[in-house]
Amino acid sequence: MKKLKIVGFLCNWCSYAGADLAGVSRIQYPDEIRIIRVPCSGRINPLLVLKCFQEGADGVLVSGCHPGDCHYQEGNLYARRRMLLLRAMLSYFGIDERRFHMSWVSASEGKKWADTVRSLVEDVRAAQAEVKTGVPAW
Amino acid sequence: MKQSALNKAEANAREVTSERQKAALQKTVTDLLAKKAVYLVIGYGCSARGDVVPLFVRRVEEAKQLEWNQHCTYNLVRYLTDPDVVGDPEARSKDAGKGSGTAKPGAGKVAVVVKGCDLKSLVVLQSENQVQRERLAVIALPCSGVTDQTGRLLAKCESCPPDVYNPREELCDLMVGEPVQRSGGRNAGKTDSDNRDSGYGDVEEIDALSPAERRALWDGYFARCLRCYACRNVCPLCYCKECVFDQHDPRWVSPAAAVASNRSFHLIRAYHLAGRCVDCGECERACPVGIPLRRINRKAAMVVEESFHFRAGLDPEAKSPLVDFANEDPQEFIE
Repeated sequence: MKKLKIVGFLCNWCSYAGADLAGVSRIQYPDEIRIIRVPCSGRINPLLVLKCFQEGADGVLVSGCHPGDCHYQEGNLYARRRMLLLRAMLSYFGIDERRFHMSWVSASEGKKWADTVRSLVEDVRAAQAEVKTGVPAW
Repeated sequence: MKQSALNKAEANAREVTSERQKAALQKTVTDLLAKKAVYLVIGYGCSARGDVVPLFVRRVEEAKQLEWNQHCTYNLVRYLTDPDVVGDPEARSKDAGKGSGTAKPGAGKVAVVVKGCDLKSLVVLQSENQVQRERLAVIALPCSGVTDQTGRLLAKCESCPPDVYNPREELCDLMVGEPVQRSGGRNAGKTDSDNRDSGYGDVEEIDALSPAERRALWDGYFARCLRCYACRNVCPLCYCKECVFDQHDPRWVSPAAAVASNRSFHLIRAYHLAGRCVDCGECERACPVGIPLRRINRKAAMVVEESFHFRAGLDPEAKSPLVDFANEDPQEFIE
């Protein structure tokens, strides 16, 4: 099976540390995600997500701190609104919304991080299986 | 037979009303210019071919060129964020010595002719601090509905509620003509803020399709997009000095008119209007290839309304929903 290319935007304070914990805890999860560390999930311009899809990413993940835990108090709550709308618009244009995930992963949730990536990879593969051959990913 | 006779009577009544409104409008504008209350009036005029076009009136004797009829579709609020149009000529001449060529807002006022639907886009500009409201004279006209070139009422007019076609007085400075009575219509008796339930049938129709069908439908439309940017240029709320689609570094979307980049373009355009678009329909009217742009904008508006309980264009003090949040925002989609 061809390896996927998935881009993950992770906030520096929670999700990136959570992914790091998964690593140091030697939890196994698919290596099909490329992580980009950003200061906060509120930093993630929806244009970045779209750019990933345009450039051929199979899936995109945005991950931040749980509500109430944001290092900047409320950045993740802005991100929540933005990504909800982005997902709806992608789906409206017939881009399978399973290719775009958002998650809350704290610095102590190494296991949750691994599960998140696993379910994302499954979802992206399921979405790809439903697309007729010849239809480009974007 | 009877139906068409009725329509004819209604059309006649509409014509009488708009003739009367036109005379009142010309008088109002003449007064404003005569007493130098404004230095510019943005209204509707008539081209040599007989089409309705935007008209910029600066002198008293030009006021009689103003038009008001069922073809006044343009949303003239578009010009209020354009310094080349609304800049005070006297402020310009004062600056000229210092080498500045662009007009700057001076002390005078600009008057703009609006319909109730256009007024809503002004409300959004106000809430985003893009206009100095105290330097505007908003001339509002109760509207019997505008038509396309074939004389058919525009879709947005069919569902127009009474507190839009009769503009809200607290939002304007001068009201020209009496409130109009319109029979029927989908939202008769409702107000702009409570006609939500009947609002989004066209969007739900597309939502009901399968993802593959939606993809095929939209890709069909995007294949004919020429990327002329008419939809953006005509939009009263696209006022950014440097548009994201004109940037070269980073270049977010390829300028090539291909399906993939057109999809990105239309998604981003609609996204930037989410929670702001007041559905004036100018983008769809301006589109030379007939892409149903209102259906894209209205999807974003529907999501904003359902998820964030916000409707644009009602309150000049409102905060745009995408620069805001609520603790109870939906998050079922988040793992």
